[in-house]
Amino acid sequence: MADALVIKNMSKRFGGLQAVQDLSFTVRENETLALIGPNGAGKTTSFNLITGYRRPDGGSVSAFGREIVGLPPHDICAHGLARTFQVAKPFGAMTVLANVMTGAFLRDKTVGIARDKAREAIAFVGLSAKEESPARDLTTIDQRRLEMARALATQPRLLLLDEVMAGLNPSEIDQAVALIGKLSERGLTIVIVEHVMRAIMAVARHIVVLDHGQKIAEGAPKDIVENEDVIRAYLGSVTVHAPAAAGESSCSNSPA
Amino acid sequence: MRTQANLIRLLAPRLLGLALVASVLIALPLVVKSSFALDIFIRILLFSFIGVAWNLMGGYAKQLSLGHAAYFGLGAYSSTILQVDFGISPWIGMIIGGIVAMLASLPIGALCFRLRGPYFTIATIATAQVLMLIFLKFRDLAWGAEGTTIPNLGNAPLMMQFDAKAAYYYIVLGLLAIGLAITYRIEHSWMGYYLVAIGEDEDAAEAIGVNAPRMKRDIYMISAFLTALAGTFYTQYIYFIDPATAFNFNISIEAALVSIVGGIGTLWGPVIGTILLETTSALLQSWLGSSFGGVQLTVYSLILMAVILWRPTGLIGLIGEASRRLSRRKPVSA
Repeated sequence: MADALVIKNMSKRFGGLQAVQDLSFTVRENETLALIGPNGAGKTTSFNLITGYRRPDGGSVSAFGREIVGLPPHDICAHGLARTFQVAKPFGAMTVLANVMTGAFLRDKTVGIARDKAREAIAFVGLSAKEESPARDLTTIDQRRLEMARALATQPRLLLLDEVMAGLNPSEIDQAVALIGKLSERGLTIVIVEHVMRAIMAVARHIVVLDHGQKIAEGAPKDIVENEDVIRAYLGSVTVHAPAAAGESSCSNSPA
Repeated sequence: MRTQANLIRLLAPRLLGLALVASVLIALPLVVKSSFALDIFIRILLFSFIGVAWNLMGGYAKQLSLGHAAYFGLGAYSSTILQVDFGISPWIGMIIGGIVAMLASLPIGALCFRLRGPYFTIATIATAQVLMLIFLKFRDLAWGAEGTTIPNLGNAPLMMQFDAKAAYYYIVLGLLAIGLAITYRIEHSWMGYYLVAIGEDEDAAEAIGVNAPRMKRDIYMISAFLTALAGTFYTQYIYFIDPATAFNFNISIEAALVSIVGGIGTLWGPVIGTILLETTSALLQSWLGSSFGGVQLTVYSLILMAVILWRPTGLIGLIGEASRRLSRRKPVSA
């Protein structure tokens, strides 16, 4: 399998805070990789660095064989990397259909074709019934669905999902997991930032664990959950943790 | 073929309505002979047109500029300088003025678009003020503070001068038609979607491949071009130009207000807003202006407050609702 995304020694400092330090990892094509770690570990910053919203202080990011550091977000999207945001950003005044059409215009400027493609993407995420609703009227999960459909309409090869399951109830999480599974079956490479461990175990083939901007572990899901460093920094465990430590690490190991 | 029949049924009333409005507007000067009334109509059409030009950028892409007087003034001065100093027809000067404004919008945009929200708005105000000062202080450039009158050539259609006021009416009606046609085309193409997306959330738009800086630059150029045409027209209409009229801050305000009152980011919003605001202000001024000075400004402000409080999306929403209610009632009565 070829490499979809190769990150080497990527760093970013905000004033006195080293948000991401010497981060390196590789995402293979058609693989689903999860980026996990406590709040403030640098996951969303990494997304912003990869997708061009922030420029790394150093290091390289290459996607499908091309260096993308320094490109503006729209060029990175045109190169096949689509992302969603931690806080969904629907175009509130537009209908669901118009939102997704806007994404589809990247590949074809014809209104009719964009509409067909948008409908396809909307159907894929299961939002067809709300096609004509204004995006601002959607529920949280539907807004996330909309963001995914909009990203899909740009025909990406790599999808970066930033906490798409935050705030969803257990049955909604199951739906989201199924959706990500479907995307992966379609041949998409996926990088997912998530706190819901149950979902990560279900979708990820490879996990990268961040803490204080650094990679502390990397590997298959079953190895990660047994890794001592990961347990101490993030997952928490019956044997290791004191109550204060568990609170601090914001353990989001879903109880459901 | 059912869809086609549906489409025709759907579009027919609209086209019919448009044809009706157009023929009324074209016939109007033949019926209305009062110079005062015609002047009000011309003002309404002119500010509708400026509003339409502003709305492309301020309405669809929500880049709230309060500096469009810069382009109005550049258009006015370009054509006047060409006419007075070089004897070039304002018809040509109008286009050149538009191009000058377009080119000026590039560096102005490059500076102002670095800012977002209110900071952008303040920066645009500054650009119009700076241009006014340039034309005020550099007397060699264009007559300084006194300005100049346009040499009166009598009835000279090739120099955009007419005896009949109706001629001016038709020119500005034509301009408005062009502005509306351009808006319609943009609204119904990918550009319309991209502009609204930028207005809603620029980061999200970038994430799905929208080149926001380029879109904003392009729409600013179109908006500036159209606004400059209005500047040339206005100068030809009043036969006079000076920095204070050409770069008047009120033009910037009016362009934004008519769109906001009528309905921001809609095709007809600026037109509806202008009809309401200009008519009220003109009528109030003629009725009460002599006895109660400033009362028209008070009423004007009250209308503004009412619209912003109760109809933040503009009056166009009101009309939409009314027509929906009517069309819903129809099948019952039939």
